[in-house]
Amino acid sequence: MKTNVIMKNKAVQVYPIKLSQPMGATLAVLGVKGSLALSHGAVGCSSLTKIFFTRHFCDPIAIRTTAVNEVTAIFDGGDGIVKEAIQNFLPRAKPEIIGLFSTGMTSAKGDDLKRIVSAIDYPIVYADTPDFVGGLESGWAKMAAAFIEQVTESPKSIRSDKVLLLPHVSLHPLEVEGVKDLLTGFGFEVYALPDLSESLDGHLGVNQASVCQGGIAMNDIRQLGSAGIVISIGASMLPVAEEFLKKSPHSVHINLPGIMGLQATDALIEQLMHLTGKEPDRRVKHWRKRHQDALIDSHFSIGRKRFILAGEPDRIVDMANCIAEAGGTISALVASTPSKLLERSVAQRTFVGDLEDVEGMIDDCDVLISNYHGERIAHRHGKVQVLRGFPILEQIGVQLKVDTLYDGGTHFLVEVANAIITDHAHRQYH
Amino acid sequence: MNKGAIEELRNDTSCKHYNVSKKNCKGNEPPGLATFGCAFEGAYFALAPVSDAIHLVHGPMTCVGSTWEFRHVGTTYEGLDKTQMGFTTDIGEMDVIHGGEKKLARAIDYAVDKYHPKGVFVYETCMTALIGDDIDAVCAAAEKHWNIPIIPVHAPGFIGTKNFGERLGLEAAVDHLVGTQEPEYTTPYDINLIGEHNINGEMWLYTPILEEIGIRILSTFSGDGRIDKMRQAHRARLNVVVCAKSSEAICKLMEAKWGIPFISASFYGMREASDAIRRICAQFNDPQLTARAEEIIAREEARVRKALEPYKILLAGRKAVLNTGGNKSWAFAVALQDIGIEVVGVSIRKSNEEDKAKLRSILSPDAVLMEKPVVEQVPLIMNTKADLLLAGGRSLYTAVKKGIPFIEISQEKTGNYCSYSGLINLARDIVSSINNPMFKLIGSEAPWEKKVIELEQCLIKGA
Repeated sequence: MKTNVIMKNKAVQVYPIKLSQPMGATLAVLGVKGSLALSHGAVGCSSLTKIFFTRHFCDPIAIRTTAVNEVTAIFDGGDGIVKEAIQNFLPRAKPEIIGLFSTGMTSAKGDDLKRIVSAIDYPIVYADTPDFVGGLESGWAKMAAAFIEQVTESPKSIRSDKVLLLPHVSLHPLEVEGVKDLLTGFGFEVYALPDLSESLDGHLGVNQASVCQGGIAMNDIRQLGSAGIVISIGASMLPVAEEFLKKSPHSVHINLPGIMGLQATDALIEQLMHLTGKEPDRRVKHWRKRHQDALIDSHFSIGRKRFILAGEPDRIVDMANCIAEAGGTISALVASTPSKLLERSVAQRTFVGDLEDVEGMIDDCDVLISNYHGERIAHRHGKVQVLRGFPILEQIGVQLKVDTLYDGGTHFLVEVANAIITDHAHRQYH
Repeated sequence: MNKGAIEELRNDTSCKHYNVSKKNCKGNEPPGLATFGCAFEGAYFALAPVSDAIHLVHGPMTCVGSTWEFRHVGTTYEGLDKTQMGFTTDIGEMDVIHGGEKKLARAIDYAVDKYHPKGVFVYETCMTALIGDDIDAVCAAAEKHWNIPIIPVHAPGFIGTKNFGERLGLEAAVDHLVGTQEPEYTTPYDINLIGEHNINGEMWLYTPILEEIGIRILSTFSGDGRIDKMRQAHRARLNVVVCAKSSEAICKLMEAKWGIPFISASFYGMREASDAIRRICAQFNDPQLTARAEEIIAREEARVRKALEPYKILLAGRKAVLNTGGNKSWAFAVALQDIGIEVVGVSIRKSNEEDKAKLRSILSPDAVLMEKPVVEQVPLIMNTKADLLLAGGRSLYTAVKKGIPFIEISQEKTGNYCSYSGLINLARDIVSSINNPMFKLIGSEAPWEKKVIELEQCLIKGA
């Protein structure tokens, strides 16, 4: 059954949750080892993005800017200042690869990144990511697709034991690590693109602000073409998989709408069993039992509550399924941007909108799951809040959270149930 | 296009700083090295503390999506706190092609109708400046319709640095608002605070002291600000610039138009706070006021000295490097000296000639003034064996990950270091930072990195 998605076509976004394509592109670049993000736009685009992700991840963010000013905006088509920017930062930061992306202003004035890059003798991957189109998911996906299009070589042969994993932007670094471990357990050699699991995973590294110290290596991206299997997670990564299949048409593509909850994880495991003829290892099997037990233990609280989820489409549709499995009523999903995936939403109502829309129907829920901006609204109306999404400013360790697969789903259900139980206790004693 | 020509076009030779530093006020941010915020950010954060106005960003999603609710600015406003709300027209592809004016007009109508603000600030951004939306016309029409001030703020990101944007934002507010309403009453001791954003309620660490002395804060630009108060600001007897140099421009505007004199004052550190209070009082030339001020200063200083005693013992001989903007550099240097810390290096990247002179007068001759803190900062800390870095949030994780204790001084900071009580907070936070055992542990060798493993201490001896 197809869900009717309501577009809130207001002239103004109030308490917005949407984030921009350049921000998504920045994160994608940070999933490549030895990279440096170069934002082609005014200084604010990079400085604000830097602060945004620094505070979200509690980690330095390797990003630079071409610093377009009122004169170069008019007289420079990008050729001069992109080159100058690279010359200027090279003495301080020597990335293996530069991830160049446009912003609203430089896209609208028609700066031709392809031409600009062709005149510069340095390894650069570029993507056109104006912030007046799409959002965080599409910016991330465009940059990932650019790496495949511009770096990955056409394979001479493909290997059935090599997997390319394409995670959507909202998967936390440690969740990506979890999926990689699962695939490795099935005997695959696994590469994720982009891969934040060793760059923004919250570890103590050296010189993290200069160039990105973790992520998929450039050489591995070059040789990705031989991956016989590509697994994309989320609707936003479909175009990236398509880009990959252009390079490697004989590879098998598996798209999973999500990996949260028992059924979604079962679906992934079934696919892997089918591909390998193997069973998952003992630990995975045991975690399934824990997940089932968590469903039992959490169903008293989650099963009696109504939820509103707001955030990036790939994440909230997935999360809604997981909560619905424990009997939670999903009153509404409010997505930051349109997505095909929203048509598969299990919510009573599904919107593309902002947190003002959430506040407008706040009485229909007991629990709000959203980013940090929803806190004030949840508090104002006495609702339970669980923090998920970008940004989360007043909690640490967001990158360490695992909500996916059997183990993560178990922790997620427990966290949500505990938030409800704690709130209930507070109301009794105060 | 060559660099010289770009410079030439950007220079404003009528600017007073031009002849001193040959730099334009917009700021010269080289591609690839720029780390400052943009003009939009400056304007938005300068005015966002006005809590009964809607702050509507006419642009695409990066501008507001990554800024709103990032700063906690204190407000006493009892209605819905609009400093912590985000409003944007979220310009899309169609608006870029057809123009965003109609969308902006509808956005203003929707927001005013639903949230009943006392005014609306409409922020231009790179995109809407580039496509040439006539924001002035849209605002003027809406102002007529709704009969509240609707103020266009022309500070698109590409036009200059955050400081320059702050100035443009404040100028827009002064042009549009000041002198359009009379206060209910005035006192001979009415002042405006200029460039005070009340981050984390910082302003409230000294405004009660001023009020106790008998000075009334008529209006603020714009911490805990209100539209009506800003409209009445022309009746103040004195403008006090708190910390941000970029806001002196609006003081000059107000001096020319309404004859309001202005002084700069800093409330960071005990000596500076006392000095600020004395200089504000001196402007009123009232012996009674001055006497009262001296009484309160003596009381506050005694209180702080007593509270600082235990910290001073712990902080004796400690050294700090300071990397912060403009006149905050010397203001914090004084504050650090007040708690007994030696300042061995200060960034002067954002400082003007006046700030530099002031720094030289208060620091020891060995102290390093850093022109390029990005490269100089870490080596300086290593060479001087400094115990502490005080800087903006951008350096935070770079520093602590190198094992350098850090105090954040920025507009996103979490501490509250202003005035007398703030100094005690600063001392307390520094002590907990530099004595944290964590810094030893993060530099420690892993068991597999150790050359000699002392197993003996872990041996469990049998009975």
